[in-house]
Amino acid sequence: MSKQSGSELGDFENLVRDGAVDLLNHLETGDFSGAIKIIQELSDARHSSFYKEVGTLTRSLHDAIRDFQIDSMDLVVGDKASDSGTKITDASDRLNYVIELTSSAANKTMDMVDSSMPVASELQAQAKELRKDWGRLIQRDLTPQEFRELYKRIDVFLQYADNSATALHSNLNTILLEQGYQDLTGQVIARVNDLIRDVEERLVHLVAVAGRVDSISGIQYEEKEAEHDDTRGHGPAINKQNNPEVLNSQDEVDDLLSSLGF
Amino acid sequence: MKILIVDDFSTMRRIIKNLLRDLGFTNTVEADDGTTALPILQAGTVDFLVTDWNMPGMTGIELLRAVRADEKLKSIPVLMVTAEAKRDQIIAAAQAGVNGYVVKPFTAVALKEKIEKIFERIDAAK
Repeated sequence: MSKQSGSELGDFENLVRDGAVDLLNHLETGDFSGAIKIIQELSDARHSSFYKEVGTLTRSLHDAIRDFQIDSMDLVVGDKASDSGTKITDASDRLNYVIELTSSAANKTMDMVDSSMPVASELQAQAKELRKDWGRLIQRDLTPQEFRELYKRIDVFLQYADNSATALHSNLNTILLEQGYQDLTGQVIARVNDLIRDVEERLVHLVAVAGRVDSISGIQYEEKEAEHDDTRGHGPAINKQNNPEVLNSQDEVDDLLSSLGF
Repeated sequence: MKILIVDDFSTMRRIIKNLLRDLGFTNTVEADDGTTALPILQAGTVDFLVTDWNMPGMTGIELLRAVRADEKLKSIPVLMVTAEAKRDQIIAAAQAGVNGYVVKPFTAVALKEKIEKIFERIDAAK
């Protein structure tokens, strides 16, 4: 389709070129009515080419929108908690799903850390306490009464250590399983990526078609460089190594700050 | 010592809160951007501010400037914890009067070091 339009545009350009030669010939021989007729013909040809290109542009736009809708319907993401098999029909919903999933995984992981830390601390405290008395036992520094108590405490501690290890093991397993979000979000992001690439391709095609309309109609645009305000922030830097404006590490930040007198 | 943690992501607030607790700072409050942080600061009980840069509504750098421009708040130490790492931004934060700048992703050690450094400076200035 685009090739055909391209050749139509080529035909129009040839027509203008040939018309200009004819026009000059007519003017040189003083045939003004013939010259005016050629100007009229060129103007008509420009109009019809213009309408043809606008038609092509409209069709391309229509196709792009239709294809986009079809493409964005085909991903089904199962929401394990509520309604299974919800159709996520647009990229924004998909990305929201990524935010939800990563947030839930981070929170669950932190829950597990929160519940594990006191267990580890208590285990450490009890072990320290026992080791102190155990040391005295090795030095043969315990009274028979103290020895009987240590004997009992060791049993209690071993039971506690056993239970704690079981709890920590289970928490670590939960943390491990939570990392499955990486797979799920990775898949969703890959799909959104494909979608963006697809949309970009179509947009580039549309721009090409629209450019032909502009070339016939003589419309010109000012190119504006988009400037991003530092105040609003940029988000995490991607490809830091290739950007001399972005610092790569805390050390570089510290160096910069100390050079500013910090 | 009451610390205000400002970040639009609740997970990041939680991470910072837990790290601060490990460092012995148990009294923390939270806000999700500069707009919600300012009234908490103006209530007058916050001693230390930890803020992100990139947030909806009022950003961290705007919050920092607002704090420094406020007669009552201007002496509160401000630690920026952010993914923003452009040279110009760090210079802008320094010029606005930031006390420390930690780039994400950060370590517990880096956070501890910066907070301690800020307190050392404050003590030295006394």
